[in-house]
Amino acid sequence: MFVLDIITSILLIAGVFFGLSGALGLFKFPDFFTRVHAASITDSIAAILIISGLLLQTSFDLNTAKLLFILAFLMITSPTASHALAKSARHGGLLTLAEVKDKQQEQKH
Amino acid sequence: MHMTKWTILLSTFWLLLSGYFQPLLLAFGIASVIIVLFVLKRMDNVDQEKQEIGTGLRLMQYFPWLIWQVITSSLQVTKLIWGSTDKLSPSVAKINAKNIPPKRRALYANSITLTPGTLSVDLVDDEITVHALQKSSIEELKQEAMEKKITKIWGEHK
Repeated sequence: MFVLDIITSILLIAGVFFGLSGALGLFKFPDFFTRVHAASITDSIAAILIISGLLLQTSFDLNTAKLLFILAFLMITSPTASHALAKSARHGGLLTLAEVKDKQQEQKH
Repeated sequence: MHMTKWTILLSTFWLLLSGYFQPLLLAFGIASVIIVLFVLKRMDNVDQEKQEIGTGLRLMQYFPWLIWQVITSSLQVTKLIWGSTDKLSPSVAKINAKNIPPKRRALYANSITLTPGTLSVDLVDDEITVHALQKSSIEELKQEAMEKKITKIWGEHK
């Protein structure tokens, strides 16, 4: 079981690294839409890595099934949440970075 | 047949989540399954659109490929995060999805969102508005690798 423990720790550490990257991107990126991209890293790959790391620690019983359910539901709900955020921002009239630049240039002329 | 499928699905779901086999708790489980089936029956009448349960075989074909896409594109975005932000070239484009069957368009839009670097902002009829961190991601989407994968598994819309 020693090998499994090592693989688990590698997967967990990688997952934590990507989670941290997502958080850093959330602060570093310039506007709302790019920040959603950074957050989606935490949603997708960090969740996949951490849950697969935890899967290796179960003894293939009910807990395995529960973890798989969590993964499946996360894969459905997290893009839906990002999409809802982005869609409402867009319909609320928030401009993307490129569009803001275009507008500024128009005003200069 | 429709109801039988749902009964089996709900019962297995309940058993997997609980794992209890005492008579009292089993009775509660059966009661909740019956309540859900009752609501489902009424909702089907209102909806006029039955929710069929597939075998999930097609999703099984799609899922590993999608996870691979998520991993590769996550690495790209992580590089962007730790590198300088000058390399960002956020752009918006409309992606045509008319080849994809209408029922699978939500899956397509969700897959776009799930792969970091691209984000589906809007889905109107057969056009998906996509926001991307880098222009190259839009180019990649326009090469239709993901679209081809979906149409290969679920068939093309004519």
